[in-house]
Amino acid sequence: MSRPVLVRREQALRGGQPLSFAIGLVVALTIGIVLLLGAGHDPVAIYERMFVAALGDPDSWSVTLNRAVPLGLAGLAVAVAGSMGLWNIGAEGQILAGAMMAAGVARIGEGWPGPVLVTAILVGGVVGGSLWALGPAVARSQIGVNEILTTLMLNEVALRLVQWLIHGPWKDPDSFNFPLAPMIPDHGRLPTLFGRAHVGVIVALVVIALFAVAVNRTAWGFELRVAGSSGATARYAGISLERKTATVLVMAGGVAGLAGGIELAGTADRLTEGISNGFGYAGIIVAALALMRPSGVAAVAVLFGAVQIGGQSIQTMGVSSSVSTILQALILFGAIGAGVLSRYQVRMVPGDPGDPGDPGGDGVQVGEAT
Amino acid sequence: MNEASLIGLCAATVSFGALLYLAALGEMVSEKAGILNLGVEGMMAMGAVTGFMTALEFGNPWLALAVAVMAGALTALLHGWFTVVLGAEQVVSGLSLTILGLGLAAYLGKNAVGRPPGAVLAPVDWPVLSDIRWLGPVLFQQSPMVYLSVLAGVVVWFVLSRTRTGLALRAAGESASTADAAGHSVVGLRLAAVAVGGGLAGASGAYLPLSLTPQWAEGITAGRGWIAVALVIFGAWKPGRVALGALLFGGTLALKTRLQTFGVDFSPILLSMLPYLLTIGVLVVISIRARNRPSPAPASLGIAYRREER
Repeated sequence: MSRPVLVRREQALRGGQPLSFAIGLVVALTIGIVLLLGAGHDPVAIYERMFVAALGDPDSWSVTLNRAVPLGLAGLAVAVAGSMGLWNIGAEGQILAGAMMAAGVARIGEGWPGPVLVTAILVGGVVGGSLWALGPAVARSQIGVNEILTTLMLNEVALRLVQWLIHGPWKDPDSFNFPLAPMIPDHGRLPTLFGRAHVGVIVALVVIALFAVAVNRTAWGFELRVAGSSGATARYAGISLERKTATVLVMAGGVAGLAGGIELAGTADRLTEGISNGFGYAGIIVAALALMRPSGVAAVAVLFGAVQIGGQSIQTMGVSSSVSTILQALILFGAIGAGVLSRYQVRMVPGDPGDPGDPGGDGVQVGEAT
Repeated sequence: MNEASLIGLCAATVSFGALLYLAALGEMVSEKAGILNLGVEGMMAMGAVTGFMTALEFGNPWLALAVAVMAGALTALLHGWFTVVLGAEQVVSGLSLTILGLGLAAYLGKNAVGRPPGAVLAPVDWPVLSDIRWLGPVLFQQSPMVYLSVLAGVVVWFVLSRTRTGLALRAAGESASTADAAGHSVVGLRLAAVAVGGGLAGASGAYLPLSLTPQWAEGITAGRGWIAVALVIFGAWKPGRVALGALLFGGTLALKTRLQTFGVDFSPILLSMLPYLLTIGVLVVISIRARNRPSPAPASLGIAYRREER
């Protein structure tokens, strides 16, 4: 009797992550076809519509790029912390906190000139996001509180804070009692580049590029990565883990908060409950697909932006926009699976098929024997 | 505030408490074996949609519950396959599971929005007990799900702390290599724990459309999966304490819609932050105390086990 086990390859297959990503995409689209057929839809027509709506002409590109902004910044917020081995699950809350602070600035600065107000709104976003990450950052660095759980819990708190603001203190008196915050002043909106694409696209790209350089090419980034791979080594090298942990988490919060400011002034125009429509959580997938490397975040974000915008467009065809949600999660699962297979190979070994065993472990036994 | 509304509040506290307890108990089993599953919200949504659809199709609430448990377990096993077998990051896989579950549930339930339920789990009428003043309406006129959640709690407590299987499962979560050396299959134990956790989350999800809010709506789980994750920490990974926490957090959910009835001038939205803030408080306390005594969290929680890297 023989059975298949996973054996670690001596060297990962060439092509690596882009290949895994492509395989993930193919897997997701294939499962998507099955789902669409199951509900009696025409998958080809639907995928074509998604593609055209997201990437068909400059106008659709502009919408896709706008969507890629919060996804990319949220992905960066996760990846920066991830470079140091920290989990920032709080991008969703940090985006909301950024949007709240930015909306507060827009209320105060109504009379300021346009460029000043726009800048102040974006800075407000950064400050709001940083403040939201400050608690988890201090708790983690000073007393070792698990940042996964604190940042996660604060997402739900931030969401309720936004709800409270728009149901209460910030409710627009002219909204006929609907829970709506007032629109921000026209001169506080982000200038557009082409189509509907706004300046936020450039801001996000610059921020991502800066962090990519900082993490990959500077001493600061090197220390960060050392601390991420081994705390003991970092200590031995004289790197202050406490300080670095706190700074990195607060910076990550600021990056996500910037996305909140950009969303407010770029697309939403008012503070709403759905201003971060799961961008923070999608950002975690984006960062994971970019292998926690800031440099890879932008490309993944554009693809996810396209999937989301495409997903919105098929609602008019009577198809639930949740198709795009499903596709995003499936891309990740497909890519993880492909990523593992690029590091392992399936081999048949003699063995007792009745023993469920540990495939990875058994693989190594074989590896040692060969 | 009158007697009837106070009884209503207590009864709703127990109902919501049971809802949270089922999901939190499942998450606890999974974490006890060392697997953090942040997909609770997604598994609950899958349980809710499959339960509601089965009830629509077959009109049998018990069959609906069984299907929901299966759906929750199968959804969880996707996480299990990726994290236990392939050793993927548990945080990423779990959050993706939430996204996938919410998306699939919305997709599958699209045509069920607004339809009346095919079947509901009728409240149990206990002889004599149900008629007791106060206690009757609060404890003995509840949905069968409430009594099932108590039963599940007792079973989980017994298996975890009084059986060899439970010992092996906890060993897999505390020190996977020790469990492995003792001849247990870490992969098998962890997969089983993840599946049980998913089944309980599925049951919790089905509780919503089968009894608590008898209809299907996208987003029916409304973030309660996150409260379940919080509860496990709040209850320090102990079935009894998690139950107390479930009543406390269930109380905030029950109170949320009743604040105005009681004439309390406090925002229900702010009240609903309480579970998360309390949990953060508990996390801080655990960390401060961890300097002198071991943390209640399973030591291998969140860490993939690969025998070759032992």
